[in-house]
Amino acid sequence: MAEKGILDGVRVLTLEQVHALPWGTGFLADLGADVIRVESPDHLQDRKSGPFPGGTAGEEWWNEAGNLVYYGTRNKRSLCMDVTNPRGKEVFLKLVEKADIVTDNFRPGTMQRFGFDHDSLSAINPRIITLSSTAYGYTGPWRRAGSRARTVDAACGLSYLTGYEGGPSQRASPNYMDHSVGNNVAYALLLALYQRARTGKGMRVDLTMLETGVSSVGPAILEAQRDITRDRLGCAHWWKAPHNVYPARGDDRWIVIVVSSDTEWESLKEAMGRPQWAEGAKFATALARWQNRHELDELIGNWTSQQDDLELARSLQGLGIAAGSAMTAEDLVNDYHLRERGYLWEFANPQAPAVGSRVFAGRPFKDPGNPMSIAKVAGLGEDNEEILAELAGLSPAEIGKLESEGVVFGAPRPDEPRP
Amino acid sequence: MPGILSELRVLELTHRPSGAYCAKLLADQGADTIKVEPPGWGDQARHEPPFIDEVPHPDRGTSYLAFNTNKRGITLDVEQAAGRELFERLAATADIILESYSPGRLAELGLGYEQLSQSNPGLILVSITYFGQNGPYANDHGDDLVAQAMGGYLYAVTGSASQPPMGTALEQMEITAARNGAVAVMAALFRRGQSGKGNHIDVSTMEAAVSTPSGLIHPYTYTGRNPHRGGSDGNVMDGMHLPTLDGEVTLTTAGTGGRPMEAWAEFLEEPGLLDPKFASRGGRMEHWEELHGLVAPKLAQWNNLDLMRETMARGLVVGLVQTPQQVVESPHLEERGFFVEMDHAEAGPLKYPGSGFFIDGENAMASARPAPRLGEHNVEILCGELGLTVRDLGLLRAARAI
Repeated sequence: MAEKGILDGVRVLTLEQVHALPWGTGFLADLGADVIRVESPDHLQDRKSGPFPGGTAGEEWWNEAGNLVYYGTRNKRSLCMDVTNPRGKEVFLKLVEKADIVTDNFRPGTMQRFGFDHDSLSAINPRIITLSSTAYGYTGPWRRAGSRARTVDAACGLSYLTGYEGGPSQRASPNYMDHSVGNNVAYALLLALYQRARTGKGMRVDLTMLETGVSSVGPAILEAQRDITRDRLGCAHWWKAPHNVYPARGDDRWIVIVVSSDTEWESLKEAMGRPQWAEGAKFATALARWQNRHELDELIGNWTSQQDDLELARSLQGLGIAAGSAMTAEDLVNDYHLRERGYLWEFANPQAPAVGSRVFAGRPFKDPGNPMSIAKVAGLGEDNEEILAELAGLSPAEIGKLESEGVVFGAPRPDEPRP
Repeated sequence: MPGILSELRVLELTHRPSGAYCAKLLADQGADTIKVEPPGWGDQARHEPPFIDEVPHPDRGTSYLAFNTNKRGITLDVEQAAGRELFERLAATADIILESYSPGRLAELGLGYEQLSQSNPGLILVSITYFGQNGPYANDHGDDLVAQAMGGYLYAVTGSASQPPMGTALEQMEITAARNGAVAVMAALFRRGQSGKGNHIDVSTMEAAVSTPSGLIHPYTYTGRNPHRGGSDGNVMDGMHLPTLDGEVTLTTAGTGGRPMEAWAEFLEEPGLLDPKFASRGGRMEHWEELHGLVAPKLAQWNNLDLMRETMARGLVVGLVQTPQQVVESPHLEERGFFVEMDHAEAGPLKYPGSGFFIDGENAMASARPAPRLGEHNVEILCGELGLTVRDLGLLRAARAI
């Protein structure tokens, strides 16, 4: 929890796995909410997901994955408890009395089976906000379908539209949809809290990856209704040229150059040393440049391929031309702009001493009123006792009994396979 | 139901899809969102193809229509004193202003956070730019592709390993920056509720791109290896697109209880998949062309919707690679009531995507007002609210201030 964050006093119970929902609740945690990740001892995939130092899981692998710091349990608390056990269920329902939000990303039906559906929780706490983050939602013929972020990348239309010019469709990303959904989860939860502050009433939010994805490709959705075909163009553009990625000096080095006007084209010609080929009618107008863009791209590529992309990007930007290196992660970690802006966060997790200090991406927005940082990263079951004593009102003896009877856990079961 | 944000006023003074989409997210939840456009030309997105019915017209650009729902629109030239004066008066009534000028430009015009917050201390000003308000790149030029490149997405995520980097379609970094901006706005509203004070928020599209894949940065700092594009290359069972009768599908090994080839052999009625060389992921990658030769002909016999229904019934997980047309006609989305129909005076009736979430079973898109025509609400807002006469409007128009 961030010190005196803006959501100080807001408590979230989250039954979350994989990526999208943890990413969403992570915003609330960074803003100071008390986000309690209720983890099952039987589903430790997230804690096995890595990355691990040097690619190898260590002795206390369950606290060492980098993904835990990036979104899994950062600024959250961890309660490792089997909620399918009747005692675990009872404790969970006690926590609901003191919670503002319950989120899950099970398939529709699972929460009901646990007795944790909205109506059951609302009967205990009428102010409760529940949010289920699923692929396809609680209604509709696909509600029971499983998913991965990339299968919804496909289903929402984004994959079909993505591809090299003239080539087949290709998924945009294995996990872009996770992030879009996480962002939408955070937005929806903040809206729900905002609404509840006025009405005093809880609500049920049914948020889907498919629909978040479709809402991200709106122009294509309108076009489809009027038979407009959106061709795949790779890095090329509907009307700008040059607008592409060009080879630079070195192995797998690339630079993007974008020209949006005649003035910028003149500047680019200047930068290239006014070569003869650039002066002809073929490239004199925006329309001509776009129509002859394949030839133009090849000629520009010949020029860029001799140059250092990082230096060239700086010199083109100095001339007012939009340009940028295709940055690798290594470039980004060393990038002086990101460093100066304080975007990169270094963190050494005391729960995973073997890992040491590592660098993480920060948040892409800065608000002096809402500073964010990494205060802690919850180890598995790290906060069991604190949560059970303070929120569920259990005595040390009762907590000890839950531990000995296999309801709450401070470490994986002894026979848990290592990642 | 009235929108959750219906008590708030938003002014949008932005030039890129990130700003327009961020304002749309607020407008779709009911915020009274006024889009402020330069007189005559308006938002650049009005002039970018494709256009509805392929008629180049400032109210027919599909990006413009898609990203400006539920807003009202006025024209003002804030470069002119008359326009600035009107903007200041509107700013005094605003809760949130979104802008995307080069850092410092708004302050030069006398409309910076320091100036506007003097008369309106609760104002939340959101600057949403490619590289943020400070740092060596702050004044650089960008667009979505530059943000993909500088954000590491281009190198690492979408394309094939053996080919040049290739980006994702439809300006997704703009969308991602916008979604982050909306979260920041909500957080600032909570802060304001406690302190009474607004703030100046700095959103960077480059940084939104960096934070978007599941971590470029920390996988590198943990392993020393740069994440690299090409994750779906040669991956028949977990990534490639495979043709069906009426489209394409992508398979997964999920939902197979750890015995993917047995499950898929049974479903596709293709015993060849049981060959031990396909048993491991490594083996499937090594022999991918052979595997493709077995799987693709079987899938090619299926209709998309039948395949979805039957795999779902067996707990298998696939993704239909839907065309936008198939998305629009999706029986699933139809049953959920996801699309919101709006009739635009110039573009006609169209179905627009909702917000991606339902609250108590209701589509969370609060109202249904299509994108404004250029200056459509000049009279309503400038006369109706700021008290100008129609004659004043004429003078301002002649001076090209509105």
